[in-house]
Amino acid sequence: MQNMAAPYSRVLALAKAQCRIFSMTFNPERLRLGNKILRQRLRGPAFAAWYPKKTVSFRDLQDTYRPLGLTMFDEAEDDREEAIQMYNNFSLHLKSR
Amino acid sequence: MAAPFRAKRLDLGGFINGRVIRDHSKRKAFEQFEPERQALRYIIRNTTLPQRARAQAQLQLTQMHAYTRPTQIKNRCVAGGIARSIIRDFRIARYQFRAQALAGELPGVRKASW
Repeated sequence: MQNMAAPYSRVLALAKAQCRIFSMTFNPERLRLGNKILRQRLRGPAFAAWYPKKTVSFRDLQDTYRPLGLTMFDEAEDDREEAIQMYNNFSLHLKSR
Repeated sequence: MAAPFRAKRLDLGGFINGRVIRDHSKRKAFEQFEPERQALRYIIRNTTLPQRARAQAQLQLTQMHAYTRPTQIKNRCVAGGIARSIIRDFRIARYQFRAQALAGELPGVRKASW
């Protein structure tokens, strides 16, 4: 009958081989080596991805195509220019009176 | 140096207010300094290192800026900026969740009825 327990040195050797293969820390004295900190995954990327990222806006499109001489119709800008034009006409009218 | 960790250019879409920007800055700061924090924590926890080095690491960790601390991070509603009663799977607060779910904007969510 080969039913007796394996000697401690064999168990240690097994544990050592196991640690080498699975790249764990061999620590038979059970010292506090702080390895659990190194095993932790970094949480930063998951935290930083909570809020939605900024997407491309209308203004970005406009800015990228402006050097190529392509402009888009901007209603607010158009209104503004029209208002200035009207103001200028009105002041000219006042001066000529 | 009013806001050392705030991005020079706003990189957020969706709902934005000051508290959301602040929380986002904290998240970015934590992400940036996490390896450093973990290294210090390792030194502190490792009992085989000299006591002096461990004490220094403790000091250094406590001297780091508050924004690099993960406990400063608070989940806020992506749609309304509210910090309470956030449903984590959807990242929105309860009222926004209700409104969006009733409007059919959340796939697979329906009002219970039995």
